[in-house]
Amino acid sequence: MYNFVEQGGVNDSGIEEDPEKYQKFMERIEAGKLIEADDWMPEEYRKTLIKLISMHGISEVMGALPEKEWTPKAPTLKRKLGIMAKVQDEMGHGQLLLRVTEDLLKPYGKTRENLMEDLLNGDLKFHNVFHMKTKTWADAGLIGWLVDGAAIISQTNMLDASYGPYQRALHRICAEEVFHAQHGEAIIMALAEGTEEQREILQDSVNRWWPSLLMFFGPGSASTTGSSKQEITMKYRIRKSSNEELRQAFLDKYLPRVFSLNLTVPDDTLHYDEQEKKWIYQQPDWNEFKQIISNKGPMSKERLRLRQIAYENNRWVIEALSKEHSFS
Amino acid sequence: MTHFENAEQAKRDPLYKEALTELLYQFADDDFILAFRGSEWLGLAPHIEEDVAFSSITQNTMGHATFFYQLLEELGEGDADVLAHERGPESRKSAVYLEKENGDGHYLDEPFYDWALTVVRHYFYEEFKQVKLELATRSSYQPLADAAQKVLMEQPYHLAHWKMWVKQLLAAGGEAEERLRARMVEAWGEFKDVLELGPKAKQMADAHLIAGEDVIETQWVERVETTVGKISKQQLGKKQGSGRSGEHTGELTIALKTLSEVYDTDRTAIW
Amino acid sequence: MGAKESKTSHFYQEYEVFSKKTEKGSMQHQFSLLAPNHEMALSMAQENFMRREDVADIWVVKRENIYGLTSEERQLLTQRLENKDYRTTKGYGYLRSKWREKQQGMLDEKEIMSWKEVKK
Repeated sequence: MYNFVEQGGVNDSGIEEDPEKYQKFMERIEAGKLIEADDWMPEEYRKTLIKLISMHGISEVMGALPEKEWTPKAPTLKRKLGIMAKVQDEMGHGQLLLRVTEDLLKPYGKTRENLMEDLLNGDLKFHNVFHMKTKTWADAGLIGWLVDGAAIISQTNMLDASYGPYQRALHRICAEEVFHAQHGEAIIMALAEGTEEQREILQDSVNRWWPSLLMFFGPGSASTTGSSKQEITMKYRIRKSSNEELRQAFLDKYLPRVFSLNLTVPDDTLHYDEQEKKWIYQQPDWNEFKQIISNKGPMSKERLRLRQIAYENNRWVIEALSKEHSFS
Repeated sequence: MTHFENAEQAKRDPLYKEALTELLYQFADDDFILAFRGSEWLGLAPHIEEDVAFSSITQNTMGHATFFYQLLEELGEGDADVLAHERGPESRKSAVYLEKENGDGHYLDEPFYDWALTVVRHYFYEEFKQVKLELATRSSYQPLADAAQKVLMEQPYHLAHWKMWVKQLLAAGGEAEERLRARMVEAWGEFKDVLELGPKAKQMADAHLIAGEDVIETQWVERVETTVGKISKQQLGKKQGSGRSGEHTGELTIALKTLSEVYDTDRTAIW
Repeated sequence: MGAKESKTSHFYQEYEVFSKKTEKGSMQHQFSLLAPNHEMALSMAQENFMRREDVADIWVVKRENIYGLTSEERQLLTQRLENKDYRTTKGYGYLRSKWREKQQGMLDEKEIMSWKEVKK
């Protein structure tokens, strides 16, 4: 989808780097052992992790922004507190994942500042859902319920990831996601059981977010958008299931709940195929997906602008406390 | 001195209740508006670790506001959410300095927020809140004394956090120190309003609800100047008006509109 | 790296965060964070990693001050033969039946750890 670390002629497969080390490495991860930051790892493994975890981390940071739009506006004291805690967690998840990435980046001499710069200049992408507009309070609930639901599916799938620091971060993250899921459900439940207007904004929100939710897991195969890293992440025991398997798991778990609230999804063709044991659904527009993640989505520019302002406008603070002697 | 154990007793004494509700509105509205300003910062702090820590403080502060609104609820003032969301600017008792916008721009659009303002405002406010809460633990109204005691549990962290920021940025010298000094001088000209107890100050003192505002001011100045040194030769001022008397700027009006935007689409709905 | 980085790079120091949940507990590694100095690292630590749990104490340690095993040493220096029964109670299990013959109980871990209180 994008190329994060310039490859500069480095051999990617890892096998030729040092066949003996590679062999041992693969034996270790296949035996369920964890790899730590200072362990030898194939270049391909490191790059795959950097790409995956930097995007995951920066998506958490960018993912705070759409919900943050509703944080000061949340309709009760309890909701104000709940959504603040939730958005705070997103920033916290970003912190954990960026730390993991920063350690992986050491051999390249890159730091958090470089990650922020990569984000701002478009080299580091963030998740498609966080490029989308929010329109009503129902969107704040829907993000917590279904976007986080989708995130939970893809993150729990990596809880046994072979890279120790990522696995440990994911365990922390998933524990908090349980709160996020219930926070989202609580907002949704109130709207679903509320007034006519509340139900309307909720249904409208589901309608608008549906294609983004399908896109969340990425294309089913490399042929859809040109390339996909899913085979490599599975080979290295980072994740267990394919994009499509994860999407099906999401539909399995969440569609019955959507329908139980008398909500519909905007897809007439959607049905469960008993023979194939899977959901048949209308494919989202994968060309649009490509556009969105290349920062050409409806809110890409605005959200990046917010990060840019935060980054540049606070620079004096960082500079002021960057002096060697400063209180260490 | 008469001691009031609960809301029922206080309600039987209209003059007492009047001074008491006034004081509780100050506690609640101060915390609420500052926590609102904090919630606007979310995602925009100087670095991610600080963003997370700052948000906890903001949440705690809004939690404190909620305690105080609940005390008002017990006194028959109305539901805590109604008190937080429905009251217009003229009935807000928060100090004007606390409603000041975080900097230029809007939280969704070009938020050129000023970390110096935030550090100075929070540090000054937390020192003030510490003093006022300590005095309130000796209040003649037991539920207020208890609430103050409870809120004080979270106060040491808030105070230490902002004191650390103030000290480090001042010690850094150069631009950082200049920015902080400028914000401190600005605050000096407006902060008297925060320290005051408003038009019912005398009633509050007579009812032993809290010590006089002169005590608050003296203690606050002493504590703040111990940390940051002499701020100004001028008298403490309230240039932006007296929030305690219901005077406010347009910045509060906008803030209230934002924080009740969803609530106002249907005030009777369950959210 | 340009001048821009060098002006700010010292802000991002790595600190490892440790905490314990209770007075009786032991310190446990939590995660790492970036901060310009110890004081700030400590002020960030609790809310970044222990927002929802009890905290009785916190340490922050600058990562460069941690001297640990290298990757190779982790594989090599942690190996041990399983012939150390003599060092544990496992190697003395036969005593149980010996004492039983003499109508005495075994002073095992459970028994000995229960001796916190003695008769007054």
